[in-house]
Amino acid sequence: MIKFNINDTEVEVEPGCTVLEAARQYGFDIPTLCHHEAVAPSGACRLCMVELKEGDWSKLVASCIYPVAEGINIYTETERIQNVRKWLFEMLLAKCPASTEIKEMASKYGVNVTRFPVENPDEECMLCGLCTRVCEEIVGLSAISLVDRGVYKKVGSPFAQPTDICVACGCCVTICPTGAMRSRIEAVRRTPAVTLTPLAL
Amino acid sequence: MNDIPKIGVFLCECGEKIKPLVDLPALEKNLTSEADIEYCETLPYPCLAPGLNHIISKVREKKLNRLVVAGCEGRLILKKFETALESEGFEKGQIDVINLRGHVAAVSDISAEKKAEKGAKLIKAAVAEMGALIPSISAKISIDNPPIIVGGGVASFAAAMELSRQGIDSLLSLGETDTELILNNLYKYFPGERRNYGRLEKLIKGVKDSPQVEIIPRGDLVDFSGITGNYTVSFAVPEETGTLKYKAGAVIACLDGELSTPGPESGYDGTTILCQTDFEEIICTSEIPNGQTVFWLNDYETGQEESVHLSARSAWVMGKQIMQNSPKAKVVILYNEQMPLPLSTFERAEARKLGLQWIPYDKSVQPVLQSGYISFGSINDHLEHELPWDRVVLSPARKIDKKALEVAKVLGFAHGENEFFYAHHARVRPEMVGREEISFAGSARCFCNLETALSQGKKAGKKNAELVKKAKDGRLFSPRFVSVVDPDKCVGCGQCQELCDCNAISVIEGEDSGVLPRVVDPMVCTGGGTCVAACPYQAITLQNSTTQQREARVISLAKQMDGDEFIAFACSWSGLPAADNAGIRGLKYDHKNHILGVRCLGLIDPSVMAMAFLKGTPGLLLVGCVPEDCHHSFGVDHTWSRVNLMKKLFSLSGFNRQRIALAHADLNNSEEFVRTVENFSKVLATLGPIEKTPENQARLQSIYRLVKYNSRIRLLLSSGLRRPWETTYKGEQQYALAYDRDDFSEALKEEFLKARLEEIFIAEKRPFSTAELADILSEASVREQLDELAAEGIISLSYQEGRPFYKSIN
Repeated sequence: MIKFNINDTEVEVEPGCTVLEAARQYGFDIPTLCHHEAVAPSGACRLCMVELKEGDWSKLVASCIYPVAEGINIYTETERIQNVRKWLFEMLLAKCPASTEIKEMASKYGVNVTRFPVENPDEECMLCGLCTRVCEEIVGLSAISLVDRGVYKKVGSPFAQPTDICVACGCCVTICPTGAMRSRIEAVRRTPAVTLTPLAL
Repeated sequence: MNDIPKIGVFLCECGEKIKPLVDLPALEKNLTSEADIEYCETLPYPCLAPGLNHIISKVREKKLNRLVVAGCEGRLILKKFETALESEGFEKGQIDVINLRGHVAAVSDISAEKKAEKGAKLIKAAVAEMGALIPSISAKISIDNPPIIVGGGVASFAAAMELSRQGIDSLLSLGETDTELILNNLYKYFPGERRNYGRLEKLIKGVKDSPQVEIIPRGDLVDFSGITGNYTVSFAVPEETGTLKYKAGAVIACLDGELSTPGPESGYDGTTILCQTDFEEIICTSEIPNGQTVFWLNDYETGQEESVHLSARSAWVMGKQIMQNSPKAKVVILYNEQMPLPLSTFERAEARKLGLQWIPYDKSVQPVLQSGYISFGSINDHLEHELPWDRVVLSPARKIDKKALEVAKVLGFAHGENEFFYAHHARVRPEMVGREEISFAGSARCFCNLETALSQGKKAGKKNAELVKKAKDGRLFSPRFVSVVDPDKCVGCGQCQELCDCNAISVIEGEDSGVLPRVVDPMVCTGGGTCVAACPYQAITLQNSTTQQREARVISLAKQMDGDEFIAFACSWSGLPAADNAGIRGLKYDHKNHILGVRCLGLIDPSVMAMAFLKGTPGLLLVGCVPEDCHHSFGVDHTWSRVNLMKKLFSLSGFNRQRIALAHADLNNSEEFVRTVENFSKVLATLGPIEKTPENQARLQSIYRLVKYNSRIRLLLSSGLRRPWETTYKGEQQYALAYDRDDFSEALKEEFLKARLEEIFIAEKRPFSTAELADILSEASVREQLDELAAEGIISLSYQEGRPFYKSIN
């Protein structure tokens, strides 16, 4: 068992857990978007940032992928963290202004407006990759993936065509934290051909 | 796995998503008092590492062997639990996840206590199902026989080569074994590919020399049966009666699509207006003709636009050959403007250098062949131009070889008329099916050139090599949810085989007792389960998800139904995702529904529906896919027929037909799903619960008896279901009324009366007179049915004072 502190409370978890898992077990609230219990964490959205203090220096770590260690001091609600969160929410609001889920979450943490320019007012996707991870890890198919790189990165199927690989299970829609997959899945799934006239047996 | 079920229930707080909305302490208390539940506990996050570790420790401590987790969407989270608990001996089917968050907590405004009650009902039902689970052994598949390659297509060589390269023995059946003859006939299938013949020749030689490939001279493929690892393939022996049988572990079909010359309607005459196939013969075997040759790529006009690039490539190869070898000849390739030019930059330059012209024509103006000239619309100036010709070469007509069709017929491939083979398969997760359909390669699968055909063959060989190796290492297992036929109960009616959309069910080889019992190939079955519900004698079960389990679940749930609360079945492809997504989005709807997830609605036996009503649900809603979107081909169509049967029985027994309803949902349209549930609940609110009078119970009992045990009705129902290969079927409008009126309704009426009479005889053992029975059932006459029952030996007939009396025999 590993003992360490979250917000000055001593907690105890098995080795191999992440800070987020420990915090959730003990009921500390850490906001997350790209984290889902069903799939492996990826640390994409950085919303789960916590402050790790050691002596008089501190650093920020993404709690969903930071493994617990003996004796570390984790703080989830320091001024620095709150500041980082606000910036992140403002950036998310600018990136995906159409997502009601993000708006609700941001306003819960007191962020309602953004100072960043909004490039696409209809954008909902924040490219956390949950949909592609669930498709690969849970469904076992990889019908969708993150295509292109850098600022052109987006979620889609190969060649942006509807694909036979997709079995239309809807896991990506269910797991999507921003509701972006609802419109995107239509460009991925394909209605199967039903004109089957095999020879009479 | 030990057999006595010890069920653990773990409730999830899920942060702010469940804890404040559901009275979890009350729920836990309620469940702890339940006798069937060995252990119940609430955890903050059972799905995260600390929670999982805790569950594992409890499983060890309490020796639990079944788990029910009440948390979020099972579609997503179940796999995590299965993986984590695999080391504890838990197999698929032994863990169930109830969506407490998405079906209970988030979707209605009722109080936390009420939600806890609703959650308890759902969890208890899941526990009941778990209690009825008989864990099946995970079948290890062995493949001792070598794979066989049938069909005789050119891809066979690539497949055989790949198998031999991987060190696996194979059987190769060839119609023609002489290399030269094979190559000489190849132009019929792949024109303009002569430059690849050298490579192919090497390949064929390699296959012939390989000690691991046994070439079997064969006649036509006549029969094919068996399951993965143990197929029997029989060939006709030429000039002899009887067949040659081979045992095979896997089957690879390599079929070539045939090219034929176009019909006379396109102007084809075989001398000056030619087809690519015979033109190639001319330029390769005799002199290269002088004058102007026009290749008209008329694939768009003949409706084969998928193959236009192949025709273009072979025209280019032939055109190049002519231009290079004969300075007097001229070549023009005329093509539809819709076709993208399949030439590389280098080839374009080459065409310019040779003076080979590629001329596009206007797609809206059909070129016309006249003697000496062909007219076409230019895309530059929209003038009608004319091209003089000495010979015109048309694209070949591509269709499926008669022989290929016969082979495919024997193998049972789905095939569209005038279409190339389309290997149809249910659209399911990879883990749900052991392997794909029989490996299939060659140009009968899709329009392709020699190279693609060979690479398809190689791929098929590779796939099968993988399969065989896996089996040899003992790592090949069937999926956990597959249908299994009980050979003792099977009467060989063949309904399941006809209804199966995976081609997984076949006759057991070597049984000559008159009855032909069926067997399911566990590696091909997708667990759709419509065969289970269709079997007139209930000889098929879906392992780990049996009808008994579902009955146990609805019994438990229906018994707990209160007022106009109802049960809703939702299929895991449409209804369940729609419900889950409604929960994620926090859409609110009526709380009276209790959603039960199933793999496909097609696996719900009518007896399960009847049981739900018998035990007290006032209504049953079944939410499935939109018909053309069903993942198991026609599962939802079959359910329609079964629901219809229930509706008819309701009419016969005086219940409202609206109590049972089929709905279609789309996973991406939760609003519609909400409306579906709301409207059904409104209907039920006006109808109210079914009063539990002895009269009503007797009727429901008769319905249950009829749909569960009456094989005549079950057979009639199954034979009316849509087959995967049918374009017209009995349920279609043009036949629906006649089938319904003449065949089905009459039989149903008779059998229902019989079932009701049986119920009376079971309830009371005293003798009844005909008049008394007719009076009880308010029917004019029941004489006929009584005679039938007496003939079947269920009741006995005796006379008292000259009047007939009937009495139960048992």
